[in-house]
Amino acid sequence: MIAPLIYEDVPLHRVQRTTYGELPAQSPVVEARLTLHVEAHQTVAVLGGEASGVDALAGLALGLERAPSGRVVTLGTEIAGLARTAQLAFRRRVGYLPAGDGLMQNLSLRDNLRLPLRFGSNFRPREIEGRVDVIVAQLRLREVAELRPAQCNAEERRRAALGRACAFDPELIVLEEPFDGLTDRAAGELLEAARGGETSEGGRRTVFMTGASLPALLRSRVDRQLRITRGRLEEVR
Amino acid sequence: MLGYLAAIGRGTARWLARVGALARFAFEAIESLASLPGAGRRVAARVLFNQLRFTALEAVSLIVLLSGVLSYLTIAATIEQLDKVGASELIGKLMVVAIVRELGPLLTAIAVVGRSGTAITAELATNTVLGEVRALEGMGIDPYHYLVLPRLFGAVVSVAILMIVFDVVAIIGGYLAALMMTGMSGPRYLGIVLANLTTRDVVLTWVKGLIFGVVIGVIPSYQGLSVRSGPTEIPQAVIRGTVHSLALIFVLAAIVVGTLR
Repeated sequence: MIAPLIYEDVPLHRVQRTTYGELPAQSPVVEARLTLHVEAHQTVAVLGGEASGVDALAGLALGLERAPSGRVVTLGTEIAGLARTAQLAFRRRVGYLPAGDGLMQNLSLRDNLRLPLRFGSNFRPREIEGRVDVIVAQLRLREVAELRPAQCNAEERRRAALGRACAFDPELIVLEEPFDGLTDRAAGELLEAARGGETSEGGRRTVFMTGASLPALLRSRVDRQLRITRGRLEEVR
Repeated sequence: MLGYLAAIGRGTARWLARVGALARFAFEAIESLASLPGAGRRVAARVLFNQLRFTALEAVSLIVLLSGVLSYLTIAATIEQLDKVGASELIGKLMVVAIVRELGPLLTAIAVVGRSGTAITAELATNTVLGEVRALEGMGIDPYHYLVLPRLFGAVVSVAILMIVFDVVAIIGGYLAALMMTGMSGPRYLGIVLANLTTRDVVLTWVKGLIFGVVIGVIPSYQGLSVRSGPTEIPQAVIRGTVHSLALIFVLAAIVVGTLR
């Protein structure tokens, strides 16, 4: 079975984002190159410092950034090679929790959960409400669902952002700095929700996360923990 | 000398690159209309409705004030003199050419830039800085669909609606001035104004409104989404969005007057 997420000979570089209307700038290429296979049902964490290039990995997995060389294969597809419209459609198959939370500040948490379903599916309003109710209950958001992100605490916002990432129940979920500022308990709950339950092969979902560090309590709960040090990817155990 | 020329060249190249990026942004935004999914249309329509409420409906009082005062002052200041020389019929020309055709679209656009163009830039820049735009893309939602198109169409429709409000109020304001200064009757005043209003005037007014609406929809959105470094860049983006929109509106107004005369 092909791994849901593959990085092959991808140069580690600092994220260079272009703004709208601009042509993509040439990313600076450094010596170090990354090769990594994230196997199905596994939970894999790649950690690294600010300048290590770790912050580019999630964007590369979703085709938000393009690697100057090498290839990134997500669910069997090189997403960066797709046309823009196809890229957008493809990303609905992958859950994404961006650094911070990326929640729309002018929408309530419930509306944030509705947004991808309303925009990216042909579900009837009733079906959407049903799905949202389930997510709200699973992530214990009932009491704050009608509040806007600014009225909630960091843990509630992060849970809502994870709920939004899981709206389409994706088989692969990519988390960027998911536990920043959370307690170990909250981080543990978030990781369990991201995994979506257990199967005989491991987590129901494949979870790939990046960040600077991993809470001590979670180290035993991830299948693989890797660290980028001086341009090299090293297994941590 | 060479260094001086190089500096001019670099500045010109930067300016051309910015113009090119803006044109590319506008093209991509309009092109994205073709790929707007059916389900997304309903969501975008809701955003458009909110934009219309904010940009058109909530701006009506400002436009009424602006138009009423301007037309009253213009007609009041000129009609007495025109009446003395027996040329009071000229207020029709003045009303149609100066106020309805030229100042109406221009002042409406300026009011919308000041009120809503600034808000669009600030809102989209905040969306960008807070990572919301990246999150949308990560979820498979095209920011052009969710953020830009509703604002673009909202601006075009709002300018068109507000232009009608401006013109109707201007004609009423002009009548009040004519009535108070010379006791001109309503039917006579309306007759003079309508006699001077041609189809060409109406078409020119609408063409300008459409062009100005597109400018107000595109430039503030572009500036908002172009923010890179952080929250401190938001006020700079708002200034750029406002100044560039106003400058382009004035230049285009002059071009339209010059070419469609």
